[in-house]
Amino acid sequence: MTMDFLRPATWAEALEAKAERPGAVPVQGGTDVMVELNFDVRRPDALLDLNRVAALGEWSAEEDGRLRVGAGVTYARLIAELGDRLPGLAQAARTVGSPQIRNRGTVGGNLGAASPAGDGHPPLLAAGAEIEVESAARGVRMIPAEEFYLGVKRSALEPDELIRAFWTRPAGGPQYFSKVGTRNAMVIAVCSFALALHPAERRAGTGIGSAAPTPRRAVAAEEFLAAELDWDTGRLDPGLPRRFGELAAGAASPIDDVRGTAAYRRHAVAVLARRTLTWAWHDLWAAGPHEGPHDGPRGRVRRPGGPVAPGDPGDPEKPRREAG
Amino acid sequence: MTEELDAGLVAGRIAESDQMSEPSAEREMGRARRRKEDARLVTGRTMWTDNIQLPGMLYVAFLRSPMAHARITGVNVSAARSRPGVVAAYSGRDLAGEQGSLPCAWPVTEDIVIPDHPPMAVDEVRYPGEAVACVVATDRYRAADALEAIAVDYEPLDPVLDMTEALAEGAPKVHEAGNRAFTWKFAGGDIDAAFRDAPVVIDRTYVQQRLIPTAMEPRAVVATTDGDGFTLYSATQIPHVLRVMLAMTTGIPEHKLRVVAPDVGGGFGSKLQVTAEEVLALLLARRLGRPVKWTESRSEGNLTVHHGRDQLQRIAVAADRDGRIRGVRVELLADMGAYLMLVTPGVPLLGAFMYNGIYKMDAYDFTCTGVFTTKMPTDAYRGAGRPEATFAIERAVDELAHELGIDPVEVRRRNWITREEFPYTTIAGLTYDSGDYEAATEKALAMFGYDELRAEQADRRERRDPVQLGIGVSTYTEMCGLAPSRVLGSLSYGAGGWEHAAVRLLPTGKVEVVTGTSPHGQGHETAWSQIAADALGVPFEDVSVLHGDTSVAHRGMDTYGSRSLVVGGVAVLAACEKVKERARELAAHLMEASADDVEFDGGRFRVRGTDEGRTIQELALAAFAAHDLPGGFEPRLDAEATFDPDNFSFPHGTHLCAVEVDTETGRCAIRSYVAVDDVGSVVNPLIVEGQVHGGIAQGVGQALFEEAVHDADGNLVTTTMADYLIPSAADLPEFTTGRTETPATSNPLGVKGVGEAGTIASTPAVVNAITDALRPYGVRDVRMPCTPERIWRALAEAEAAVPGQAPATGPAPAAVPGFAPVPTHGSTPGAAPPPAPASEPIRGFVAPATSESAPEGGAR
Amino acid sequence: MNGETDITGADGVPDPVTADLRLSVNGVPRPVTVDTRETLLDTLREHLGLTGAKKGCDHGQCGACTVLVDGRRALSCLTLTVTADDVEIVTVEGLADGDALHPLQAAFIENDALQCGYCTPGQLCSAAGALAEAADGWPSAVTPDLSAPPRLDETEIRERMSGNLCRCGAYPGIVAAVGQVAR
Repeated sequence: MTMDFLRPATWAEALEAKAERPGAVPVQGGTDVMVELNFDVRRPDALLDLNRVAALGEWSAEEDGRLRVGAGVTYARLIAELGDRLPGLAQAARTVGSPQIRNRGTVGGNLGAASPAGDGHPPLLAAGAEIEVESAARGVRMIPAEEFYLGVKRSALEPDELIRAFWTRPAGGPQYFSKVGTRNAMVIAVCSFALALHPAERRAGTGIGSAAPTPRRAVAAEEFLAAELDWDTGRLDPGLPRRFGELAAGAASPIDDVRGTAAYRRHAVAVLARRTLTWAWHDLWAAGPHEGPHDGPRGRVRRPGGPVAPGDPGDPEKPRREAG
Repeated sequence: MTEELDAGLVAGRIAESDQMSEPSAEREMGRARRRKEDARLVTGRTMWTDNIQLPGMLYVAFLRSPMAHARITGVNVSAARSRPGVVAAYSGRDLAGEQGSLPCAWPVTEDIVIPDHPPMAVDEVRYPGEAVACVVATDRYRAADALEAIAVDYEPLDPVLDMTEALAEGAPKVHEAGNRAFTWKFAGGDIDAAFRDAPVVIDRTYVQQRLIPTAMEPRAVVATTDGDGFTLYSATQIPHVLRVMLAMTTGIPEHKLRVVAPDVGGGFGSKLQVTAEEVLALLLARRLGRPVKWTESRSEGNLTVHHGRDQLQRIAVAADRDGRIRGVRVELLADMGAYLMLVTPGVPLLGAFMYNGIYKMDAYDFTCTGVFTTKMPTDAYRGAGRPEATFAIERAVDELAHELGIDPVEVRRRNWITREEFPYTTIAGLTYDSGDYEAATEKALAMFGYDELRAEQADRRERRDPVQLGIGVSTYTEMCGLAPSRVLGSLSYGAGGWEHAAVRLLPTGKVEVVTGTSPHGQGHETAWSQIAADALGVPFEDVSVLHGDTSVAHRGMDTYGSRSLVVGGVAVLAACEKVKERARELAAHLMEASADDVEFDGGRFRVRGTDEGRTIQELALAAFAAHDLPGGFEPRLDAEATFDPDNFSFPHGTHLCAVEVDTETGRCAIRSYVAVDDVGSVVNPLIVEGQVHGGIAQGVGQALFEEAVHDADGNLVTTTMADYLIPSAADLPEFTTGRTETPATSNPLGVKGVGEAGTIASTPAVVNAITDALRPYGVRDVRMPCTPERIWRALAEAEAAVPGQAPATGPAPAAVPGFAPVPTHGSTPGAAPPPAPASEPIRGFVAPATSESAPEGGAR
Repeated sequence: MNGETDITGADGVPDPVTADLRLSVNGVPRPVTVDTRETLLDTLREHLGLTGAKKGCDHGQCGACTVLVDGRRALSCLTLTVTADDVEIVTVEGLADGDALHPLQAAFIENDALQCGYCTPGQLCSAAGALAEAADGWPSAVTPDLSAPPRLDETEIRERMSGNLCRCGAYPGIVAAVGQVAR
């Protein structure tokens, strides 16, 4: 019932500590770990406080054009500092928990917990992010996001490894994240969906949350888009988003739980997928024919069923164009 | 000392003083005074029960049943006793000889089954979370840690979760005597005649889901003894009632027991209880001779604070083709949970007189059966019986309007009691003393922009907008101001409904008001100060209000049922009047005048027609000095009064809600909300406004978010605030509020009470709005809480029942007139139809025969 | 999870691991020895006599325990005290300047932003944090235009205060009070 508290000052020390005490639970913002401690569902023999490891709180633009975002960057900073480059993730971040949670919680923590309901996961999947993990014994491993999630609250992280950062390209096209919950605030998603258009590669990435044992991509839906979207003229056959939604729903394997039934989750994934595609495609072509990589919108978060602005009929969540 | 004052007498005195006084300062009554309570609350200097630290204090933790229903075959606490810091550990068996049975004060029928209710389970657990053992330790962590050393052997028994199944032959029993606690009937008029040949009958079954009150302050108890007497600090709404009941159940003599309600962080009925933990804390303090404290965690609270609502309501309305209601018949199953707690069986009966609402009718018939299940007992939750009743009748009246193709406001207008008809004795036997439903409704419609919203609704329907607009109406009244004692007695309630006050003029002219009400957020310190300031002509700031400690406020019936102002506030006024009469006598003596010639004006007694006078402060000092008093005049200017009105009070109002429902995701958002309430005369509009806001928020919570859910084994799954969702600021719109004022005639202040009005009105307003939004799709009800999933399911079920009314998906085509069946937009070849949702049948009454008539002229 | 103690079978009961810390609360150094498992909320309430922050849910869901950590709002029930020894903590007791109420405290009273008052200390600290976040240009989930400084209208305030539940439903007053101070 005692708990050792380890406070490494550097990343190297942290890796050493984790190697010596593989049972130590890393804690950054504490927003996941502390709930489990307070509710006594988890009783680790040691906590590994990573708050002093300054490097984890940094992000950088790397030579390969990707962003490397430290595991200790909070949601609040991600929104403020990277919202323009990672709009899908920033949208998701703005719906995580409450403002207090966003001030402390991190994508790294979200990854460590590997909850199927974590809001950060679908945008990472849609963007094709990689997770950088490291151990003292074996050094760095890069794990594609889609290979990171293994099961309910289980990830590919080895006991002696720590999450260092995630790597992802700045958005090359519009990105959207949408989720359904019962309440507006502090809501654990009944289901969520993220979409990232990659116009330069003429393809799209997807991520589904809360509708399978792990966050996952809707691969068939992505392939359908790559094959069927008219990247040359921007014409969108009205049946296409619907079919995309159905394929996305087909990728889900949800369960019934206190937050929702499997049937509803499947249905809602289809709706969210259809809508996010419609918005993203609209954004991509709103300024005329597509020319090269697009500066993705920073992404206003729309809640399904929220009030509809006058003059915005027909589509309840049709996002406004962002200024600039 | 204390004398009963009837309302007429007090009213007469007020009228007299009003006549005589030309207020020199602004009257306090009706003034939006900032609350006296707030300064300490915003600076964190408040005394909550959990803040109390006493020397040598020990901490209690309870081991709670992980099963809904099981026989206890063994409890071994010895290992826990040897844990570090542990002072004691007990099982229910250890305490069986002294713990008694938790009381039920409302045996509603002669043959009601009131099972023995040990505070700590001894032989059997009957709801999840029931305490089976406890540890007392030197700090709360050690107490909690030692719980895991207690071994309990359970022999699982079948849970009893569904009320209908519980009443079936051969069902597993919660108690030996069976699962039916009581059946209570009430009727007025010839119900068979009303339904016989009725052109229209609306027959509906509604589910009042189980709610968890969720006061922000978790319950906490501190018990201490000096070896002779006991003091119990508790986060309770009812220190006075609690003291009496604890004296009766624990054997601690009443005069040796002091109960204190320190600052209490909300109750909403949940702290109107005699809890197991209060009794056990006292017993532990007695056994150990040391102060003990227990503070619940939120999960513990969700499990074991009494729950609210949980009724299955079948309501049938018989009406003529013009919409006139002939009669209403109600059959109720009310889930008692596993035991009958303080007023558990009485809660549904508080609604029994309200299913007729504000409407006139020829006949009314009500039956309620209380059913035992293996769940936490239910009891009072904001509104207690009246929100349920109002929901059923207001939903049913909307259905009637739809059935007849009449505007829902118009149907109400054709049935409500008109302003000329007050006082009006309803079919349920209550006499509504005053009201003006026309005025409140007209005002609400104007504020709401009813016609414009209807136009927008038509437009959206026309366009097949995936986001539909719905408009909900709720015209409510309630019986509140719980008193009168005579009526409560006739309903078999165990106590009266009077309230007490004492008013003391101190030597320096300051005033102490002692009240028997026990505020926990209602602002009594402010409002009672306003009443006393007006009555005595003293500054608002010069009044202090004392409450919540039985050694300070020695008589009282406490705070619940929107009763505090209507009964307790009037008692304050009555006591002030008595003080003033004493002061007048003293003034007359000092000024050598006849008391009849002494008039009172703005805190000064003056001999009529002269300038000679004495301020009430001067008289206070004169009484204290006692140098020159009338013969037989005791040297004090203080008085006590008890008020017990002749009738309930009947606030009423009209609430209008507009919702936008996303027919694809099922998401619902409230777009606008207008509430016009008539709560009679208003002491402090700021406080009234706050009560209305809070009431609406809780009613919206029931409509949209809240439900206590049990799994198939009977375990509560909504044990955290992440699972049991109460509304946040972001979930509610700004409410537009207004008032009409028809003073109550049952008390001299003309006040009606406001604590529960918003909750009673808002739930049906929201659900009526959602149903209204979805009517074109064939939906006629959405079960609460109306979550996105429930709305989606209602849409899908309606579609399955009448194919072709499918909601539009995706941006609607420009011109599709009305909602005639059209091909589903974008029906991709090979696309699978949406899976049929698993139905969520309402278990209960036999499905009504389709007695409903075909609508005349079709839907609107 | 690897290495975690079996919750049901713990027999040996070693002494708790403690840490000696020097917290800074409301501008005052507060040396304290705490169990490493202890939350900042418990430390404030049990050891430092600062009972303003409340335990409403123990789960980060109600916001009643909100305090300011280095000027940013944080949930003290989800903060381990041992992680708070190098930061500046402000609780509701530290908002006022002597007898002069903080503008938010005054505005809460003026706008009737509370009833029972239990959630109020958390609401106040949260509001102070929200104002600072808005001043720093942080967008919320409802900010329509991410390229301009956020304007604290009603919708923004409701969203930004959505981490603090009030069962009394005093939200209209809270929104008005925060809006008044924001202007």
